[in-house]
Amino acid sequence: MPSLLEIQRQVRDAVVAHEAGGALLARLAGGRDPAARLAIHRHHYQASLTRALLDKFPAVSWLAGERFAIAAAQAFVRAHPPAAPCIAEYGADYADFLASRAGAERLPYLRALAELEWHVGKVSIAVDRAPLTIESLASIDASELPDHRLTLQGGLRYCTADWPIDDLLKQYLSGAAPERYAFSAADVQLEIRGARGEFRIERLAEADFVFRSAVADGVTIGAAAERALDINATFDPGQALLRLVSAGLVIAIDKPETSA
Amino acid sequence: MALSRVRAMPTASGVGLRLPHLTDVVATRPSAAWFEIHPENFLANPHAAELLVDIARDYLISVHSVGVSIGSASGIDRLHLARVRALVDRIDPILVSGHLAWSTHAGEYLNDLLPLPYTKETLRIVSAHIDEVQDTLGQRYLVENPSSYVGFSTSTMTEVEFLSELVHRTDCRLLCDVSNIYLSAHNLGFDRDSYLAELPAEAIAELHLGGFTPEPEDGGGEVLVDTHGGGIAEPVWAFYARALEHFGPKPTLIEWDNDVPVLDVILAEAAAADAVLQSTFAPKPRQTSASHALAS
Repeated sequence: MPSLLEIQRQVRDAVVAHEAGGALLARLAGGRDPAARLAIHRHHYQASLTRALLDKFPAVSWLAGERFAIAAAQAFVRAHPPAAPCIAEYGADYADFLASRAGAERLPYLRALAELEWHVGKVSIAVDRAPLTIESLASIDASELPDHRLTLQGGLRYCTADWPIDDLLKQYLSGAAPERYAFSAADVQLEIRGARGEFRIERLAEADFVFRSAVADGVTIGAAAERALDINATFDPGQALLRLVSAGLVIAIDKPETSA
Repeated sequence: MALSRVRAMPTASGVGLRLPHLTDVVATRPSAAWFEIHPENFLANPHAAELLVDIARDYLISVHSVGVSIGSASGIDRLHLARVRALVDRIDPILVSGHLAWSTHAGEYLNDLLPLPYTKETLRIVSAHIDEVQDTLGQRYLVENPSSYVGFSTSTMTEVEFLSELVHRTDCRLLCDVSNIYLSAHNLGFDRDSYLAELPAEAIAELHLGGFTPEPEDGGGEVLVDTHGGGIAEPVWAFYARALEHFGPKPTLIEWDNDVPVLDVILAEAAAADAVLQSTFAPKPRQTSASHALAS
Protein backbone atom coordinates (compact mmCIF):
# COMPACT_ATOMS: atom_id res chain seq x y z
CA MET A 1 0.00 0.00 0.00
CA PRO A 2 1.43 3.44 -0.84
CA SER A 3 2.34 5.80 1.96
CA LEU A 4 0.03 8.63 2.99
CA LEU A 5 2.54 11.04 1.46
CA GLU A 6 2.29 9.26 -1.90
CA ILE A 7 -1.51 9.18 -1.75
CA GLN A 8 -1.56 12.91 -1.02
CA ARG A 9 0.77 13.57 -3.93
CA GLN A 10 -1.65 11.70 -6.18
CA VAL A 11 -4.65 13.62 -4.82
CA ARG A 12 -2.72 16.88 -5.23
CA ASP A 13 -2.11 16.06 -8.90
CA ALA A 14 -5.79 15.23 -9.37
CA VAL A 15 -6.94 18.47 -7.73
CA VAL A 16 -4.38 20.91 -9.13
CA ALA A 17 -3.17 19.39 -12.39
CA HIS A 18 -6.35 17.43 -13.27
CA GLU A 19 -4.33 14.22 -13.43
CA ALA A 20 -6.17 11.52 -11.50
CA GLY A 21 -4.16 8.34 -12.01
CA GLY A 22 -5.63 4.87 -12.10
CA ALA A 23 -3.75 3.84 -8.96
CA LEU A 24 -5.49 6.57 -6.97
CA LEU A 25 -8.92 5.96 -8.47
CA ALA A 26 -8.66 2.27 -7.62
CA ARG A 27 -8.33 3.15 -3.94
CA LEU A 28 -11.28 5.55 -3.80
CA ALA A 29 -14.77 4.66 -2.67
CA GLY A 30 -17.95 6.68 -2.74
CA GLY A 31 -20.95 6.87 -5.03
CA ARG A 32 -21.20 5.25 -8.41
CA ASP A 33 -18.24 7.20 -9.74
CA PRO A 34 -15.57 8.09 -7.15
CA ALA A 35 -13.63 9.99 -9.81
CA ALA A 36 -16.58 12.35 -10.20
CA ARG A 37 -16.69 12.78 -6.42
CA LEU A 38 -12.98 13.63 -6.37
CA ALA A 39 -13.68 16.18 -9.07
CA ILE A 40 -15.80 18.12 -6.54
CA HIS A 41 -12.54 18.97 -4.77
CA ARG A 42 -10.86 19.85 -8.08
CA HIS A 43 -13.75 22.14 -8.96
CA HIS A 44 -13.63 23.81 -5.56
CA TYR A 45 -9.90 24.41 -5.80
CA GLN A 46 -10.24 25.90 -9.27
CA ALA A 47 -13.39 27.93 -8.68
CA SER A 48 -12.50 29.38 -5.28
CA LEU A 49 -9.01 30.53 -6.27
CA THR A 50 -10.11 31.79 -9.67
CA ARG A 51 -12.79 33.86 -7.96
CA ALA A 52 -10.22 35.17 -5.47
CA LEU A 53 -7.99 36.40 -8.31
CA LEU A 54 -10.86 37.97 -10.24
CA ASP A 55 -11.94 39.77 -7.07
CA LYS A 56 -8.41 41.07 -6.47
CA PHE A 57 -7.84 42.25 -10.02
CA PRO A 58 -11.17 43.70 -11.22
CA ALA A 59 -9.47 46.38 -13.35
CA VAL A 60 -7.63 43.62 -15.24
CA SER A 61 -11.02 42.13 -16.19
CA TRP A 62 -12.26 45.60 -17.16
CA LEU A 63 -9.24 46.25 -19.34
CA ALA A 64 -8.58 42.84 -20.88
CA GLY A 65 -12.12 41.50 -20.92
CA GLU A 66 -13.75 38.91 -18.71
CA ARG A 67 -12.97 36.02 -21.03
CA PHE A 68 -9.24 36.74 -21.02
CA ALA A 69 -9.23 37.38 -17.26
CA ILE A 70 -11.04 34.14 -16.38
CA ALA A 71 -8.83 32.03 -18.65
CA ALA A 72 -5.70 33.66 -17.22
CA ALA A 73 -6.84 33.18 -13.63
CA GLN A 74 -7.69 29.53 -14.24
CA ALA A 75 -4.30 28.91 -15.84
CA PHE A 76 -2.52 30.67 -12.97
CA VAL A 77 -4.38 28.59 -10.40
CA ARG A 78 -3.26 25.39 -12.14
CA ALA A 79 0.35 26.52 -12.54
CA HIS A 80 0.83 28.32 -9.24
CA PRO A 81 -0.95 26.85 -6.20
CA PRO A 82 -0.91 29.11 -3.14
CA ALA A 83 2.09 28.72 -0.87
CA ALA A 84 0.20 29.62 2.30
CA PRO A 85 -3.33 29.32 3.69
CA CYS A 86 -4.01 33.08 3.70
CA ILE A 87 -5.62 33.78 0.35
CA ALA A 88 -5.01 37.52 0.87
CA GLU A 89 -1.37 36.70 0.11
CA TYR A 90 -2.16 34.81 -3.09
CA GLY A 91 -1.41 36.47 -6.43
CA ALA A 92 1.78 38.43 -5.71
CA ASP A 93 3.29 37.15 -8.98
CA TYR A 94 0.07 37.26 -11.00
CA ALA A 95 1.04 40.44 -12.84
CA ASP A 96 4.10 38.80 -14.41
CA PHE A 97 2.03 35.74 -15.30
CA LEU A 98 -0.58 37.90 -17.03
CA ALA A 99 2.08 39.54 -19.17
CA SER A 100 3.22 36.14 -20.41
CA ARG A 101 -0.23 35.11 -21.64
CA ALA A 102 -1.05 34.98 -25.31
CA GLY A 103 -3.07 38.09 -26.12
CA ALA A 104 -1.36 40.23 -23.49
CA GLU A 105 0.95 41.70 -26.14
CA ARG A 106 -1.90 43.91 -27.36
CA LEU A 107 -2.02 45.45 -23.87
CA PRO A 108 1.58 46.42 -23.04
CA TYR A 109 0.40 48.15 -19.85
CA LEU A 110 -1.51 45.13 -18.49
CA ARG A 111 1.31 43.87 -16.27
CA ALA A 112 1.84 47.31 -14.72
CA LEU A 113 -1.87 47.82 -14.13
CA ALA A 114 -2.12 44.42 -12.43
CA GLU A 115 0.90 45.25 -10.27
CA LEU A 116 -0.74 48.53 -9.29
CA GLU A 117 -3.97 46.70 -8.40
CA TRP A 118 -1.99 44.30 -6.23
CA HIS A 119 -0.38 47.20 -4.37
CA VAL A 120 -3.73 48.98 -3.96
CA GLY A 121 -5.20 45.80 -2.49
CA LYS A 122 -2.34 45.46 -0.03
CA VAL A 123 -2.30 49.06 1.20
CA SER A 124 -6.10 49.13 1.53
CA ILE A 125 -6.00 46.44 4.24
CA ALA A 126 -3.08 48.04 6.06
CA VAL A 127 -3.31 49.85 9.37
CA ASP A 128 -1.38 53.06 9.84
CA ARG A 129 0.47 53.67 13.07
CA ALA A 130 1.28 56.84 14.98
CA PRO A 131 3.80 58.70 12.82
CA LEU A 132 7.13 60.00 13.98
CA THR A 133 7.18 63.74 14.59
CA ILE A 134 9.74 66.23 13.33
CA GLU A 135 10.59 66.96 16.97
CA SER A 136 11.58 63.35 17.60
CA LEU A 137 14.28 63.67 14.94
CA ALA A 138 15.77 66.66 16.74
CA SER A 139 17.32 64.43 19.39
CA ILE A 140 19.52 62.78 16.78
CA ASP A 141 22.86 64.40 15.98
CA ALA A 142 22.57 65.79 12.43
CA SER A 143 25.92 64.29 11.49
CA GLU A 144 24.63 60.82 12.40
CA LEU A 145 21.26 61.11 10.67
CA PRO A 146 22.55 59.70 7.34
CA ASP A 147 23.49 56.46 9.11
CA HIS A 148 19.92 55.89 10.30
CA ARG A 149 17.15 53.86 8.69
CA LEU A 150 13.49 54.74 8.65
CA THR A 151 10.53 52.44 9.07
CA LEU A 152 7.62 53.59 6.94
CA GLN A 153 3.89 53.01 7.33
CA GLY A 154 2.78 49.48 6.42
CA GLY A 155 0.38 50.82 3.82
CA LEU A 156 3.02 52.28 1.51
CA ARG A 157 4.18 50.85 -1.81
CA TYR A 158 6.32 52.26 -4.62
CA CYS A 159 6.24 51.23 -8.25
CA THR A 160 7.26 52.54 -11.65
CA ALA A 161 5.62 52.03 -15.02
CA ASP A 162 6.18 52.93 -18.66
CA TRP A 163 2.53 53.92 -18.94
CA PRO A 164 0.35 56.26 -16.86
CA ILE A 165 -1.44 53.33 -15.21
CA ASP A 166 -2.65 55.52 -12.37
CA ASP A 167 -4.82 57.36 -14.88
CA LEU A 168 -6.03 54.05 -16.23
CA LEU A 169 -7.01 52.86 -12.77
CA LYS A 170 -8.81 56.13 -12.06
CA GLN A 171 -10.68 55.68 -15.34
CA TYR A 172 -11.78 52.22 -14.21
CA LEU A 173 -12.79 53.42 -10.75
CA SER A 174 -14.78 56.32 -12.20
CA GLY A 175 -17.07 53.88 -13.94
CA ALA A 176 -17.06 56.13 -16.99
CA ALA A 177 -17.01 54.55 -20.42
CA PRO A 178 -15.83 57.20 -22.88
CA GLU A 179 -16.06 56.42 -26.59
CA ARG A 180 -12.41 57.38 -26.99
CA TYR A 181 -9.65 57.35 -24.43
CA ALA A 182 -6.23 58.65 -25.40
CA PHE A 183 -3.51 56.66 -23.70
CA SER A 184 0.15 57.21 -24.48
CA ALA A 185 3.31 55.77 -23.05
CA ALA A 186 4.85 57.89 -20.29
CA ASP A 187 7.16 57.03 -17.42
CA VAL A 188 5.50 57.39 -14.03
CA GLN A 189 6.86 56.89 -10.53
CA LEU A 190 4.06 56.13 -8.13
CA GLU A 191 3.57 56.18 -4.39
CA ILE A 192 0.55 54.16 -3.25
CA ARG A 193 -0.59 54.91 0.26
CA GLY A 194 -3.54 53.46 2.12
CA ALA A 195 -5.06 52.11 5.30
CA ARG A 196 -8.38 50.81 6.60
CA GLY A 197 -10.12 50.51 3.25
CA GLU A 198 -8.84 53.78 1.77
CA PHE A 199 -6.02 54.44 -0.67
CA ARG A 200 -4.51 57.17 -2.80
CA ILE A 201 -1.95 57.21 -5.56
CA GLU A 202 0.49 60.05 -6.15
CA ARG A 203 3.10 60.64 -8.82
CA LEU A 204 6.54 61.52 -7.51
CA ALA A 205 9.44 63.29 -9.14
CA GLU A 206 12.09 60.75 -10.08
CA ALA A 207 14.66 61.72 -7.42
CA ASP A 208 12.00 61.80 -4.68
CA PHE A 209 10.79 58.40 -5.84
CA VAL A 210 14.30 56.93 -5.73
CA PHE A 211 14.87 58.38 -2.25
CA ARG A 212 11.57 57.16 -0.81
CA SER A 213 11.63 53.71 -2.39
CA ALA A 214 15.22 53.20 -1.19
CA VAL A 215 14.20 54.21 2.33
CA ALA A 216 11.25 51.82 2.09
CA ASP A 217 13.68 49.04 1.12
CA GLY A 218 15.62 49.60 4.35
CA VAL A 219 18.50 51.60 2.93
CA THR A 220 20.02 54.21 5.27
CA ILE A 221 18.98 57.83 4.82
CA GLY A 222 22.46 58.72 3.58
CA ALA A 223 22.62 55.94 1.00
CA ALA A 224 19.09 56.72 -0.19
CA ALA A 225 20.06 60.38 -0.59
CA GLU A 226 23.12 59.43 -2.64
CA ARG A 227 20.94 57.40 -5.01
CA ALA A 228 18.63 60.37 -5.43
CA LEU A 229 21.53 62.76 -5.99
CA ASP A 230 22.78 60.45 -8.76
CA ILE A 231 19.47 61.13 -10.51
CA ASN A 232 19.26 64.83 -9.76
CA ALA A 233 22.24 66.82 -8.48
CA THR A 234 19.92 69.49 -7.05
CA PHE A 235 18.04 67.00 -4.88
CA ASP A 236 17.80 68.28 -1.30
CA PRO A 237 17.94 65.34 1.14
CA GLY A 238 16.99 67.45 4.15
CA GLN A 239 13.84 68.77 2.50
CA ALA A 240 12.99 65.31 1.20
CA LEU A 241 13.29 63.86 4.70
CA LEU A 242 11.21 66.69 6.11
CA ARG A 243 8.45 66.07 3.56
CA LEU A 244 8.47 62.35 4.30
CA VAL A 245 8.12 62.87 8.03
CA SER A 246 5.62 65.73 7.69
CA ALA A 247 3.41 63.52 5.53
CA GLY A 248 3.13 61.09 8.44
CA LEU A 249 4.82 58.30 6.51
CA VAL A 250 7.61 57.51 9.00
CA ILE A 251 6.83 55.48 12.10
CA ALA A 252 10.29 54.67 13.45
CA ILE A 253 13.98 55.45 13.07
CA ASP A 254 16.93 53.34 14.08
CA LYS A 255 20.64 53.07 13.49
CA PRO A 256 21.72 49.68 12.16
CA GLU A 257 24.50 47.88 13.95
CA THR A 258 27.73 48.12 12.00
CA SER A 259 29.54 44.83 11.56
CA ALA A 260 32.93 44.65 13.31
CA MET B 1 1.84 19.40 29.16
CA ALA B 2 -1.43 19.87 31.00
CA LEU B 3 -4.21 20.88 28.64
CA SER B 4 -6.85 21.97 31.05
CA ARG B 5 -8.10 24.82 28.92
CA VAL B 6 -11.43 24.25 27.28
CA ARG B 7 -13.24 27.15 28.84
CA ALA B 8 -16.90 27.31 29.68
CA MET B 9 -18.93 28.13 26.59
CA PRO B 10 -22.46 29.43 26.43
CA THR B 11 -24.93 26.87 25.17
CA ALA B 12 -26.58 29.60 23.09
CA SER B 13 -25.73 29.45 19.42
CA GLY B 14 -23.05 31.58 17.79
CA VAL B 15 -22.45 32.53 14.19
CA GLY B 16 -19.49 32.59 11.86
CA LEU B 17 -18.07 36.11 11.62
CA ARG B 18 -17.02 36.79 8.04
CA LEU B 19 -15.22 39.79 6.59
CA PRO B 20 -18.31 41.50 5.07
CA HIS B 21 -19.83 41.84 8.56
CA LEU B 22 -16.84 43.16 10.49
CA THR B 23 -17.51 46.87 10.23
CA ASP B 24 -21.22 46.38 10.95
CA VAL B 25 -20.47 44.39 14.09
CA VAL B 26 -17.99 47.01 15.28
CA ALA B 27 -20.49 49.79 14.65
CA THR B 28 -23.75 48.20 15.86
CA ARG B 29 -22.68 45.57 18.42
CA PRO B 30 -25.54 43.18 17.51
CA SER B 31 -26.90 40.72 20.01
CA ALA B 32 -24.92 37.53 19.42
CA ALA B 33 -23.92 34.86 21.91
CA TRP B 34 -20.47 34.39 20.35
CA PHE B 35 -18.62 34.51 17.06
CA GLU B 36 -16.39 32.04 15.29
CA ILE B 37 -13.65 33.28 12.98
CA HIS B 38 -11.29 31.69 10.48
CA PRO B 39 -7.83 32.95 11.42
CA GLU B 40 -6.74 32.69 7.79
CA ASN B 41 -9.02 35.67 7.01
CA PHE B 42 -7.16 37.87 9.48
CA LEU B 43 -3.49 36.84 9.51
CA ALA B 44 -2.62 38.75 6.34
CA ASN B 45 -5.22 41.48 6.76
CA PRO B 46 -4.13 43.98 9.44
CA HIS B 47 -7.29 46.08 9.12
CA ALA B 48 -9.55 43.08 9.63
CA ALA B 49 -7.39 41.94 12.56
CA GLU B 50 -7.69 45.38 14.14
CA LEU B 51 -11.49 45.22 13.88
CA LEU B 52 -11.47 41.68 15.27
CA VAL B 53 -9.46 42.72 18.32
CA ASP B 54 -12.05 45.44 18.93
CA ILE B 55 -14.90 42.92 18.61
CA ALA B 56 -13.13 40.46 20.91
CA ARG B 57 -13.36 42.99 23.73
CA ASP B 58 -17.16 42.55 23.82
CA TYR B 59 -17.80 39.07 22.41
CA LEU B 60 -16.62 35.54 23.03
CA ILE B 61 -14.60 34.37 20.04
CA SER B 62 -13.88 30.86 18.83
CA VAL B 63 -11.00 30.34 16.39
CA HIS B 64 -11.63 27.77 13.66
CA SER B 65 -8.67 27.17 11.38
CA VAL B 66 -9.05 25.99 7.80
CA GLY B 67 -5.31 25.93 7.14
CA VAL B 68 -3.51 24.11 9.94
CA SER B 69 -3.86 20.84 8.01
CA ILE B 70 -3.28 18.25 10.72
CA GLY B 71 -3.61 15.49 8.12
CA SER B 72 -0.69 16.53 5.91
CA ALA B 73 1.89 13.76 5.59
CA SER B 74 4.46 16.34 4.50
CA GLY B 75 4.09 18.08 7.86
CA ILE B 76 2.12 21.01 9.15
CA ASP B 77 3.09 24.54 8.24
CA ARG B 78 4.84 25.69 11.42
CA LEU B 79 5.06 29.29 10.27
CA HIS B 80 1.31 29.32 9.77
CA LEU B 81 0.74 27.69 13.14
CA ALA B 82 2.94 30.33 14.77
CA ARG B 83 0.84 33.05 13.13
CA VAL B 84 -2.34 31.41 14.42
CA ARG B 85 -0.79 31.35 17.89
CA ALA B 86 0.02 35.07 17.63
CA LEU B 87 -3.62 35.83 16.76
CA VAL B 88 -4.83 33.58 19.58
CA ASP B 89 -2.66 35.61 21.96
CA ARG B 90 -4.30 38.82 20.75
CA ILE B 91 -7.95 37.78 21.04
CA ASP B 92 -7.92 35.11 23.78
CA PRO B 93 -10.45 32.80 22.13
CA ILE B 94 -12.70 30.52 24.09
CA LEU B 95 -12.07 27.58 21.73
CA VAL B 96 -9.61 26.71 18.96
CA SER B 97 -10.57 24.11 16.38
CA GLY B 98 -9.78 22.69 12.96
CA HIS B 99 -10.59 19.80 10.66
CA LEU B 100 -9.79 16.13 10.31
CA ALA B 101 -8.47 16.73 6.80
CA TRP B 102 -5.43 17.91 4.92
CA SER B 103 -4.96 20.96 2.72
CA THR B 104 -1.22 21.41 2.28
CA HIS B 105 1.22 19.24 0.38
CA ALA B 106 4.93 19.92 -0.01
CA GLY B 107 4.60 23.66 0.46
CA GLU B 108 1.44 24.07 -1.59
CA TYR B 109 -1.90 25.05 -0.09
CA LEU B 110 -4.81 23.46 -1.93
CA ASN B 111 -7.59 25.65 -0.44
CA ASP B 112 -9.84 22.71 0.38
CA LEU B 113 -10.35 20.15 3.11
CA LEU B 114 -9.23 16.92 1.51
CA PRO B 115 -10.09 13.38 2.64
CA LEU B 116 -7.83 11.02 4.55
CA PRO B 117 -7.60 7.24 4.52
CA TYR B 118 -8.23 6.01 8.06
CA THR B 119 -5.21 3.80 8.68
CA LYS B 120 -2.65 3.29 11.44
CA GLU B 121 -0.14 5.43 9.52
CA THR B 122 -2.63 8.31 9.22
CA LEU B 123 -3.50 7.96 12.89
CA ARG B 124 0.15 8.23 13.85
CA ILE B 125 0.69 11.32 11.68
CA VAL B 126 -2.49 13.13 12.71
CA SER B 127 -1.94 12.37 16.41
CA ALA B 128 1.59 13.78 16.26
CA HIS B 129 0.29 16.91 14.56
CA ILE B 130 -2.47 17.42 17.11
CA ASP B 131 0.13 17.09 19.86
CA GLU B 132 2.23 19.74 18.12
CA VAL B 133 -0.75 22.05 17.62
CA GLN B 134 -1.83 21.72 21.25
CA ASP B 135 1.71 22.28 22.49
CA THR B 136 2.10 25.36 20.30
CA LEU B 137 -1.27 26.84 21.21
CA GLY B 138 -1.08 25.84 24.86
CA GLN B 139 -4.64 24.64 24.82
CA ARG B 140 -6.82 21.79 23.65
CA TYR B 141 -7.63 21.60 19.98
CA LEU B 142 -11.08 20.63 18.80
CA VAL B 143 -11.07 18.32 15.76
CA GLU B 144 -14.06 18.49 13.42
CA ASN B 145 -15.46 15.51 11.53
CA PRO B 146 -15.16 16.19 7.79
CA SER B 147 -17.75 16.55 5.06
CA SER B 148 -17.03 13.74 2.62
CA TYR B 149 -17.77 12.98 -1.01
CA VAL B 150 -15.26 10.20 -1.39
CA GLY B 151 -13.42 7.84 0.94
CA PHE B 152 -10.67 5.25 0.66
CA SER B 153 -11.23 1.54 0.23
CA THR B 154 -7.88 1.08 1.98
CA SER B 155 -9.17 2.51 5.28
CA THR B 156 -8.82 0.02 8.10
CA MET B 157 -11.05 1.79 10.60
CA THR B 158 -14.20 3.86 10.50
CA GLU B 159 -14.16 7.62 10.86
CA VAL B 160 -15.71 7.39 14.32
CA GLU B 161 -13.12 4.81 15.41
CA PHE B 162 -10.41 7.12 14.06
CA LEU B 163 -11.78 10.19 15.89
CA SER B 164 -12.20 8.22 19.12
CA GLU B 165 -8.61 7.01 18.92
CA LEU B 166 -7.41 10.60 18.35
CA VAL B 167 -9.19 11.67 21.53
CA HIS B 168 -7.63 8.74 23.40
CA ARG B 169 -4.10 9.44 22.11
CA THR B 170 -3.99 13.23 22.26
CA ASP B 171 -6.65 14.28 24.79
CA CYS B 172 -8.07 16.57 22.12
CA ARG B 173 -11.78 17.36 21.96
CA LEU B 174 -14.20 16.96 19.10
CA LEU B 175 -16.22 19.47 17.17
CA CYS B 176 -19.21 17.56 15.85
CA ASP B 177 -20.45 19.07 12.61
CA VAL B 178 -24.00 17.75 12.52
CA SER B 179 -24.50 18.83 8.91
CA ASN B 180 -21.30 17.05 7.91
CA ILE B 181 -22.55 13.78 9.39
CA TYR B 182 -25.84 14.19 7.52
CA LEU B 183 -24.06 15.06 4.27
CA SER B 184 -21.35 12.38 4.51
CA ALA B 185 -23.87 9.68 5.45
CA HIS B 186 -25.88 10.57 2.37
CA ASN B 187 -22.82 10.73 0.10
CA LEU B 188 -21.00 7.64 1.38
CA GLY B 189 -24.01 5.55 2.36
CA PHE B 190 -23.47 5.01 6.07
CA ASP B 191 -26.02 5.21 8.87
CA ARG B 192 -25.95 8.68 10.42
CA ASP B 193 -27.68 7.66 13.63
CA SER B 194 -25.14 4.91 14.27
CA TYR B 195 -22.32 7.40 13.60
CA LEU B 196 -23.84 9.79 16.13
CA ALA B 197 -24.35 7.07 18.70
CA GLU B 198 -20.76 5.81 18.41
CA LEU B 199 -19.07 9.21 18.82
CA PRO B 200 -17.53 9.65 22.28
CA ALA B 201 -20.12 12.04 23.76
CA GLU B 202 -17.84 13.12 26.60
CA ALA B 203 -15.34 14.54 24.06
CA ILE B 204 -17.83 16.70 22.16
CA ALA B 205 -17.18 20.36 22.97
CA GLU B 206 -19.00 22.14 20.14
CA LEU B 207 -21.50 21.52 17.35
CA HIS B 208 -21.61 22.98 13.85
CA LEU B 209 -24.53 23.47 11.49
CA GLY B 210 -24.12 24.63 7.90
CA GLY B 211 -25.95 24.70 4.63
CA PHE B 212 -25.22 22.35 1.74
CA THR B 213 -26.21 22.15 -1.90
CA PRO B 214 -27.62 19.04 -3.61
CA GLU B 215 -26.09 18.48 -7.04
CA PRO B 216 -27.31 15.85 -9.52
CA GLU B 217 -24.95 13.02 -10.37
CA ASP B 218 -24.53 11.20 -13.65
CA GLY B 219 -26.52 7.99 -13.49
CA GLY B 220 -29.07 9.40 -11.08
CA GLY B 221 -29.19 10.51 -7.50
CA GLU B 222 -27.50 13.53 -6.04
CA VAL B 223 -24.43 14.38 -4.05
CA LEU B 224 -24.64 16.90 -1.21
CA VAL B 225 -21.91 19.52 -1.51
CA ASP B 226 -20.77 21.35 1.63
CA THR B 227 -21.15 24.88 0.29
CA HIS B 228 -22.13 26.77 3.46
CA GLY B 229 -24.09 28.90 1.05
CA GLY B 230 -27.57 28.85 2.56
CA GLY B 231 -29.72 28.10 5.56
CA ILE B 232 -29.89 24.82 7.44
CA ALA B 233 -31.88 22.13 5.58
CA GLU B 234 -35.09 21.02 7.29
CA PRO B 235 -34.07 17.37 7.92
CA VAL B 236 -30.82 18.55 9.49
CA TRP B 237 -32.75 20.41 12.18
CA ALA B 238 -34.37 17.12 13.23
CA PHE B 239 -30.98 15.40 13.19
CA TYR B 240 -29.57 18.28 15.24
CA ALA B 241 -32.24 17.64 17.88
CA ARG B 242 -31.14 13.99 18.02
CA ALA B 243 -27.50 15.12 18.41
CA LEU B 244 -28.49 17.36 21.32
CA GLU B 245 -30.37 14.48 22.95
CA HIS B 246 -27.27 12.35 22.60
CA PHE B 247 -24.60 14.87 23.62
CA GLY B 248 -26.54 17.21 25.89
CA PRO B 249 -26.59 20.99 25.43
CA LYS B 250 -23.53 22.13 23.48
CA PRO B 251 -22.54 25.47 21.97
CA THR B 252 -23.65 25.42 18.36
CA LEU B 253 -22.26 27.45 15.50
CA ILE B 254 -24.08 28.47 12.33
CA GLU B 255 -21.67 28.50 9.36
CA TRP B 256 -22.43 30.60 6.30
CA ASP B 257 -19.43 31.28 4.08
CA ASN B 258 -20.71 31.75 0.53
CA ASP B 259 -23.43 34.06 -0.78
CA VAL B 260 -23.18 35.61 2.67
CA PRO B 261 -26.41 37.43 3.57
CA VAL B 262 -26.85 40.29 6.01
CA LEU B 263 -25.90 39.28 9.53
CA ASP B 264 -29.51 39.30 10.74
CA VAL B 265 -30.30 36.35 8.48
CA ILE B 266 -27.52 34.28 10.04
CA LEU B 267 -28.48 35.38 13.54
CA ALA B 268 -32.02 34.19 12.78
CA GLU B 269 -30.59 30.73 12.02
CA ALA B 270 -28.78 30.86 15.38
CA ALA B 271 -32.08 31.74 17.07
CA ALA B 272 -33.66 28.75 15.34
CA ALA B 273 -30.89 26.53 16.71
CA ASP B 274 -31.54 27.95 20.19
CA ALA B 275 -35.24 27.13 19.79
CA VAL B 276 -34.39 23.51 18.91
CA LEU B 277 -32.14 23.34 21.96
CA GLN B 278 -34.84 24.76 24.23
CA SER B 279 -37.54 22.46 22.93
CA THR B 280 -35.22 19.45 23.20
CA PHE B 281 -34.50 20.15 26.85
CA ALA B 282 -37.80 21.71 27.88
CA PRO B 283 -39.24 20.07 31.00
CA LYS B 284 -41.66 17.37 29.96
CA PRO B 285 -45.18 17.81 31.37
CA ARG B 286 -45.47 15.74 34.55
CA GLN B 287 -48.23 13.14 34.54
CA THR B 288 -50.76 14.12 37.19
CA SER B 289 -53.29 11.95 38.91
CA ALA B 290 -55.95 13.84 36.98
CA SER B 291 -54.33 12.93 33.69
CA HIS B 292 -54.06 9.35 34.92
CA ALA B 293 -57.72 9.46 35.66
CA LEU B 294 -58.47 10.85 32.23
CA ALA B 295 -56.31 8.23 30.60
CA SER B 296 -57.85 5.35 32.44
